[in-house]
Amino acid sequence: MLFSISFLAPCVLIVVALIAWQRPGCRPEGLPQLAETAALVALGLAVFGLVQFVVGGPARFSLLEGPAALVFEANAITLTLALLVAFIGWVVIRYSRSYLDGEPQEGRFHALMLATLAAVLLFVQSGSLATLMTSTVLVGLGLKRLLLFYGNRPEARRAAMKFSLVWHGADAILLIASALLVVSYGTGDIANIAAAATGGNLSWGGSIAVALIVLAAALKTAALPLHGWLTEVMEAPTPVSALLHAGIINSGGVLLIALSGLVQLSPGAMAALVMIGGLTALFGAAVMLTQSAVKTSLAWSTVSQMGFLLLQCGLGLWALALLHIVAHSLYKAHAFLSSGGAVQAVASLRRPGPIAVPSVGAVLKSFALALVLYAVIAVGFTALLGPKTAQAVALGAILIFGVAYLVAQGLADLAPAELTTRTALASLGTAIAYFAFQATAQVIWGPALPAAPTPGPLEWALIVLAVLSFGLVAFAQALFPLWAHHPSTAGLRVHLANGFYLNALLDRAIGGFRSAKTN
Amino acid sequence: MFMKHTQIDPSLVSAILKAAEDAARRIPPAFPLEATVAVNPFLGQTGEDLATASARLQRVAGVQATPASDAFASALETGGITDADLEAALSASASLRKPRDLAALKAVAAGPTPLEARMLPSVADLAARATGTDWPSIIEKTIGVWAAGQFDRGQALWSPTPGSEAFASWRAWATHDLTPEIAGLTGFCAHVAAAPDTSERAIARASEALGLDACSAETTFHRLYMDLGGWSQHARWLLWQAELAGGTDRTLADLLAIRLIWEEALLAHVPSIADTWAETVTAHGEPVAASEQDVAFAILQEASERAHQRRLIAALDGETTSHARPKLQAAFCIDVRSEVFRRALESVDSKIETIGFAGFFGLPLAHMSHGSDVSEAHLPVLLNPTVHTTSHADPEHEQETRVAARTIRAWGRFRQAAVSSFAFVEAAGPFYAGKLIKDALGHGKTSKKTSPAPQVIGGLDAKAKADTAAAVLGAMSLTKGHGEMVLLLGHGGQVTNNPHESAYHCGACGGYTGEVSARLLALLLNDPETRAGLDERGIPIPDDTLFIAGLHDTTTDEITIYDDGLPADRGDDIAQMKNWLRQAGKIARAERAPDLPGAMPTTVSDRALNWAEIRPEWGLAGCAAFIAAPRAATERKDLEGRAFLHSYDWKADEDFRTLELIITAPVVVASWISLQYYGSSVMPDVFGGGNKLIHNVVGGIGVIEGNSGRLRPGLPWQSVHDGEKLMHDPLRLSVMIEAPREAITEVLKHHTEVRKLFDNGWLHLFTLKNGKVDARYGPGLVWADITETAAA
Repeated sequence: MLFSISFLAPCVLIVVALIAWQRPGCRPEGLPQLAETAALVALGLAVFGLVQFVVGGPARFSLLEGPAALVFEANAITLTLALLVAFIGWVVIRYSRSYLDGEPQEGRFHALMLATLAAVLLFVQSGSLATLMTSTVLVGLGLKRLLLFYGNRPEARRAAMKFSLVWHGADAILLIASALLVVSYGTGDIANIAAAATGGNLSWGGSIAVALIVLAAALKTAALPLHGWLTEVMEAPTPVSALLHAGIINSGGVLLIALSGLVQLSPGAMAALVMIGGLTALFGAAVMLTQSAVKTSLAWSTVSQMGFLLLQCGLGLWALALLHIVAHSLYKAHAFLSSGGAVQAVASLRRPGPIAVPSVGAVLKSFALALVLYAVIAVGFTALLGPKTAQAVALGAILIFGVAYLVAQGLADLAPAELTTRTALASLGTAIAYFAFQATAQVIWGPALPAAPTPGPLEWALIVLAVLSFGLVAFAQALFPLWAHHPSTAGLRVHLANGFYLNALLDRAIGGFRSAKTN
Repeated sequence: MFMKHTQIDPSLVSAILKAAEDAARRIPPAFPLEATVAVNPFLGQTGEDLATASARLQRVAGVQATPASDAFASALETGGITDADLEAALSASASLRKPRDLAALKAVAAGPTPLEARMLPSVADLAARATGTDWPSIIEKTIGVWAAGQFDRGQALWSPTPGSEAFASWRAWATHDLTPEIAGLTGFCAHVAAAPDTSERAIARASEALGLDACSAETTFHRLYMDLGGWSQHARWLLWQAELAGGTDRTLADLLAIRLIWEEALLAHVPSIADTWAETVTAHGEPVAASEQDVAFAILQEASERAHQRRLIAALDGETTSHARPKLQAAFCIDVRSEVFRRALESVDSKIETIGFAGFFGLPLAHMSHGSDVSEAHLPVLLNPTVHTTSHADPEHEQETRVAARTIRAWGRFRQAAVSSFAFVEAAGPFYAGKLIKDALGHGKTSKKTSPAPQVIGGLDAKAKADTAAAVLGAMSLTKGHGEMVLLLGHGGQVTNNPHESAYHCGACGGYTGEVSARLLALLLNDPETRAGLDERGIPIPDDTLFIAGLHDTTTDEITIYDDGLPADRGDDIAQMKNWLRQAGKIARAERAPDLPGAMPTTVSDRALNWAEIRPEWGLAGCAAFIAAPRAATERKDLEGRAFLHSYDWKADEDFRTLELIITAPVVVASWISLQYYGSSVMPDVFGGGNKLIHNVVGGIGVIEGNSGRLRPGLPWQSVHDGEKLMHDPLRLSVMIEAPREAITEVLKHHTEVRKLFDNGWLHLFTLKNGKVDARYGPGLVWADITETAAA
C-alpha cells in the first residue's frame, strides 16, 4: 500500500520540539517563528496527504510486526482529523508566538505544545491498538506538563492531578480492552479486528473490551460524573485550552469512531452511550447557563457538546459524530482564543435596549413553525438523497428544537418586525446549513463507517426518550426569562452553578480540598 | 425581651460598626473593565505616610508597599541613585526610627527584603493549619462563584434575581450551597440560615464570637476585605458611584458580614485554634506603626524619586523663545503618551504648536452612542456629568443599527442556550475555520464606521454655548493667540481581544476614548453663535481659526480626523495638516519601537490588530512627573514619554481659579494613575491584575486568574513588565507647577484632602520659574529653594 505524506507531519513537529527543548528560556531567538513554520509545514503535509488520498486512495504504514505493530492509516476519516488537528495546531502555535512572548519558560512551552500536537496527530492517524495506546499516553503526558506550566499555582497542580488521574485511568482501561481484543482476535490491527468482527457476534472478551472502550471514551470526553477535570483546566495559557478543547478532548470520540464497527456490535454499549451522552449533554448545557466566567462557561459547553457527540455515536450516526467533532473543534478553538473580547461583548449586549421576551404562545408558535420548517427541509433532502434512518430523523428533531429558540426570540411581542424577519432568515439559514453539512458528511465519510443499526425496542425507547427530554429542555429554555428569577428556582440555580457538587465530591474523594504542599 | 442571643453592649456594637466603616474606606474602588480608570490603591491610606501604609499592608495583606531591596541595591550600584540622593532623603525624613546614618541606610539596601509574611492570620488560615483542609481557598472559590453571578452584567444567561441585595442574595445562596459541607464544614448551611438577617447584626454577632473589640476590629476587618481581593474593590466602586449620585450602598458591609460568618463558623468548627486566634486578636489591637525597616525602605524609595527629580531638574533648563502665530495648534490630552507625539509633531514644522489639557476638554458628558440606550459618563470619575449628549442617527438608520445589534444578540443567546447550542455548533461550527484564518492573520477586525457627530440632547442656547466655550478656553489657557487651525485630539488605544482595552483609553474620559468630547468641542467652537458670545466675553477668536476634532490612536500613532462639516475651502490646509500628522506618527513610532518587544518602527501598528498581542503598547507605564506650565518650559526637551504636560499660564489666571482646578482635578487624577502603576508593579499580587495568559473574564466586569475565585483589579503584570524588566519605574509623581508659591499654598490651605497627598509624600511638589525648577514643597506648607548645587 501507499505511504501517506501526512504520516510525516508529527515528525516535523517532534524535530522542532527537540530544538525548542534545548532553549527553554525567555525569548529564544527565532524559535517561535520556527515553531510556527513547523506547524505550517505539518499542515501542508496533511493537505498533501489528502491530495494523495483523493488521487491514489487510502494509504497505510506499519512499523514492527505482530500485536505490537505500530500501524498508521490514511483514509477519509483519519485524514479529516489530521487536517483538523494540524489546522488548529497552526492557529494555536501562531497565537502562542505573540502570546507567550517574554515568558520565563517560553521555549519550553513551544517544545511541549509541538510535542503534544505531534502526539495528537499520531493518535488520529492510528491504525492499530498499539499506536492508539502509545499516542494517547503521550498526549496525556504532554498535556499534563502544559497544565503545570504555572506549577507554583496550587489550582494548577490540583487540575493537573485530576486530569492525570482521569486520563491515565482511561488509558489503563483502554490497555485492558486492547489486551482482550488482541487475545480475542489475534491481531492489534483495527481494520482486521473490524473485519473479523463484522457479521459475527461478540465473544465474551470482545463484549468486555467494548464496554471498557465506551468507559474510556466517556472518561476522555469528560462525561458525567467525572467531568470535573475539564472544567478546571483553564489554569494553563489560553492556547493550551484551545488545543485541549479543540483537539485533545475529541480523543474519546475518535476512539469510538475508529472502533465503530466493533462498538456497534454491542447494543448495550450503544444504549449506554446514548444515556451517558444525552444526560451529559443536557447537564452540561444547563450548568453552562449559570457560569459567569467566560472560560469556565466554555468548558461546560465542551462537556455538553462532548455528551452530544457520545449521543450521536450511541445512535450509530457515526458520520454525523465526525461532523460534530470538526464543527465543534473549529468553533471552540475560536471561542477560547477570542475570549478576551468578553468584556466588550457583554457591554454591547446592554446597548441596544431591553431584550424582547417571548410569551408562551409565541414559543408554541415557534415550535410549530420550526417543525414545519423541518418537515419541508427533510422532505427536500430525502427527495434529493434518499430516505433517512430513524436515528437521523430524531437527531434532526433535536436540533430543530434548538432552532425554535431562535424563531421564538423573533416572535416576541415587543420585537420589531425587522428583527422577526432577520431571526426567521437566520433560522432558515441555520436549518439549511446543518442539513447540508450533514448530507455532505454522509457522502464523504458514510461509506467508510457502519450504517446506523435498525432500531429494536430498546433503541426506539431511547430515541423517544432523547427526543422528549431534549424537547422539554428546549421548551423550558425558550420560556426561560419567564421563570428563571422565580424564587422557587433559586435553589436549582445554586445547585446547577455548582455542577450538582459532583466535582466537589470528587475533590473530597481524592483530597482536592487539602492544603497544597509548600514547595 | 425576646432576644435569644447574648446581649451585646450597644457601645461596643457601634464601635465595631465604626471600625467596619473605617476598614471599608481603606479599600480603593475598582472600576469595571468595560470602562476602567486608574485608581490610587492607597486611596484609604493617604492620611498616613508610605512607611505606615507599608506596615499596615504587611499586617492585612502580607505585602510590603515599597520595592524589594535588590531594586535599590542595583540602582545604587549603577549610579542611578547617588549617595547625595540618599543623604537628601535621609535628612528629609522626620521619623524617629530612621537609620542613624548613610551607612546604616545602605546596609538596608544591601540586605534582604524580609521574606516571611508578617500578615496576621485569619481564622480560615488557622483552621487550615490545624486541619489540613485548605479553607482559605474553599472560601475564595465559593464566595467567588456566588459573587461572579451576583455582579454579573450579562455573561451568564441565568443570573441571580436582578436588584437583590448582596447579603440577602448570599444567604439564599449559602443556605443551598453544599460545597462547604462536602469539604467538611458540617452544618454550615444551617449556620447561615440561623445568621441574623441584616449585615450589621451579622457583623456584630460574629465580632462577639470572634472576641473583637474596638481596637482590634479595624485591621481584622481590613484583613478580611483584602482576602476578598477585587470583590471588595468592586463593592467599593458601587459605593463610590452611589455617593457620587448622592446616595449610599451597603454591599461592602454585606461582604464583610459574609466573610465574618465564615470566620465564626470555622472558629466553632475548630475549637483548638481558639488560643492562637485570641493572640491574633491581641496583635490586631496594637496600633499600626512603621518599623525601622519600613522607615528605611520608605527613605530608599524617596531617594530613588529624588534621583529622578535631579535628572528632571537638570533637563528643565529654561524657556525656549516663542514664535509667530502658529498655522496649526494641536491640543492633546495630558496623558504621558502624548508627550512623545507632541515632540514629534513640533519637530515636523516650526509653524506647529501643541497644547496639553485633560482629554475630556472640560466637558462633563454623559453620552449615548449610536445604536445605544446606555448613557456612559465620559469624564473624570471624580465628577458628575451635567451635559447629556447622543450620537444617535436619524430614526431610520438608528433603527437599522439596533435591529442589526439585536439580531446579533439573539444569535448569541441561540449559541449560548441549552439545546440550541448543539444546533449552533452543527450549523455554524464549520464556518469558524474562516474566522480562525482571518483572526490568525490579523484581518479579523471589521472596519468601524465613524458614528454620527455627537449633539447635546435638547440643544444649547446661545448663552450656554458661549459660557461653556469660555470656561473651557479659560481652563485651557487658550484665550488668545489662536492658530489658523486648532486641532482638538482625544485619544484611545486600538487593541484586539484584550479584556483591559479600556485601560488604554482616556482616563479623563472615564475609560472611553476622547472622540466624543473632541468632536463636541470642535462643533461648539466653530458655531457662529458661540463665536459671537465669546467676543462679548472678551475672548475674540480670529475668523479664520478653524477647530478640527481628531482621535490619536496611541497604539498605532495614527490620527483620525472627523469631517463634521469642515469647510471645503480649507481643503489644502487640512491636507497639509494630515501630512504633518503622518510624518509625526512615523517619528513617534520609531521612538516607541525599541521598547516594544519584537517591534520594528514599521510593525508597531500591527500590534493593534493581533488578537494574541498582550503588550500592544505601554499605556502610561513610566509616568513620573506632572508639569503645569507654558509649553515653552518643556518644548524641545526629551521627557521620554514620562511626563503629564498641562498647559498653564499663571499670568493669565487672574484669581488663580485655573490653578485651583489643576491642583484639585488633573493632579489628583495623575496621582491615581501614578500610584496605580506603583501598586501594580510593587505589589502585583495584591494590587495587580495578574497574569494575562490565564485571564478568565468574569461577568463582563473583571478578570480572575484561571480557575480561582478572586477578582483581580489593577494592571496585569504584562502591562508593567516586558518579560525581562519592569517597564514602570515605581516612583511617586513629581508635580511641577509654574506659579507663585503663595498662590499654590493658598490652594492647598483650602483643600485639605489634596494637601494630605503632598504632606504625606504621595506626591512631590515643585514650583517652576521661567522654565526652571525653583522651589520644593515640604510638609506643613513650607517651601525650600532649589539651589544650583542641590540640582547638580
